[in-house]
Amino acid sequence: MLKSVVRAVGAAVRLSSVATSTARTLPLSCPTLCSPSSATTRPFTRSLWMLNNNGASSGYKPKLFSSKALNPSISCGCGSLHTEGDKAFGAFLSDEIKEELKIQKNSNLPKMSGGWELALNGTEAKLSRNVAGEKVTVTFNPEIVSSPNFVVDVTKQGAKHSLVFDCHFPEDEVSHAEGEEESDIFAIREVSFQPEGDTDWKENSYTLNTDALDWALYDHLMDFLADRGVDNTFADELMELSTAAEHQEYIKFLENLHGFVKCN
Amino acid sequence: MGVILRNLQKQVPLRRARLRKDVETLRHILGIQKFDLGIVCVDNHRIQQINNIYRKKNVPTDVLSFPFYEDLRPGKMPLPLHRDEQNLGDIFLGVEYVMRQCQEESLDLHGTLTAVTAHGICHLLGYRHETEEEWTEMLQRENYILSEYNRLTGRSLEPLMKRCSQDR
Repeated sequence: MLKSVVRAVGAAVRLSSVATSTARTLPLSCPTLCSPSSATTRPFTRSLWMLNNNGASSGYKPKLFSSKALNPSISCGCGSLHTEGDKAFGAFLSDEIKEELKIQKNSNLPKMSGGWELALNGTEAKLSRNVAGEKVTVTFNPEIVSSPNFVVDVTKQGAKHSLVFDCHFPEDEVSHAEGEEESDIFAIREVSFQPEGDTDWKENSYTLNTDALDWALYDHLMDFLADRGVDNTFADELMELSTAAEHQEYIKFLENLHGFVKCN
Repeated sequence: MGVILRNLQKQVPLRRARLRKDVETLRHILGIQKFDLGIVCVDNHRIQQINNIYRKKNVPTDVLSFPFYEDLRPGKMPLPLHRDEQNLGDIFLGVEYVMRQCQEESLDLHGTLTAVTAHGICHLLGYRHETEEEWTEMLQRENYILSEYNRLTGRSLEPLMKRCSQDR
């Protein structure tokens, strides 16, 4: 807002000087600028000019250009901006972090049963295990709290393709809202074959959607996952882990923010 | 439609495909393929809750049936007028309860679940066991269903009526 005021001041000053030579350069929407003779007919220009003045003649010290924001108090010698607002923000963050740490039951993330190894990388979390030569990887984003989904990759030894299951928790989406509680703890949404390894998702791979799938086939797919450790117990534990991971990241973020606001 | 199967519990490692296949066999034996059926697998906590709400018995049990047709004469096939009425109802299987029983009596879990489901389907078809006469009638029906099942599958399941009396 300050920049626009400065520009307006500049424009008004320029307009007022130009007006003396030719009235045509003045915008019709600003009738107060048309007549150059008296200050009373150009209140806008005059008041802005006065604001731009240091106030030496009138003794008037306009508040607009003497805001504390433009005169930071350098209290720690770091050279960064530190305002009253930052101080209040820092104090707020301190309290917030204390509260969140109280809510956090355990600073360690809950362990998954079944020998899963966890790798956390910001918004991507990966659980993996080996089952008789097969590698099973479950990828999820802890930040997605509503309609969370997880992707299960099953790769057999030496295979070029992985069987990939896109799964979700249906109870969060629909059932509770409609008052029904009789849905599976987790459901498979889509199944496809994807190139093995961290290559890009192949969009043109046929994707089996379970919406209109034969139910017997669906049950076989669920049993397939259960045999590899992805069952209702896993799904429940995953929800807990995801919630705890998101909370941990949130606290870390608050702490970083606190450090940044206080002193970089 | 067909058989809607839901597994709401994590205590028992359930084989969904096996249970569904067995239920389809039972439906075929009873000639009820055109009717929808719901099978919901729950744990002790849940089945106890339902048992308490609907039968005022605050204990877990093996099976609870909720028939669509409430006043069906035993063995009488429902005559639905609309597609919406081609529904027999829902069966809640107390799989945790059944698993404990199987562990105590060294029985096969999935075979027992099939026998329990047969019992539940009989309830949906109007069979009761409040009186001695009803008990005999239902036992006969279960015997028939499971002997046909055993013939088709090579297994040797026994009717629930012979072993359990908790839901009498």
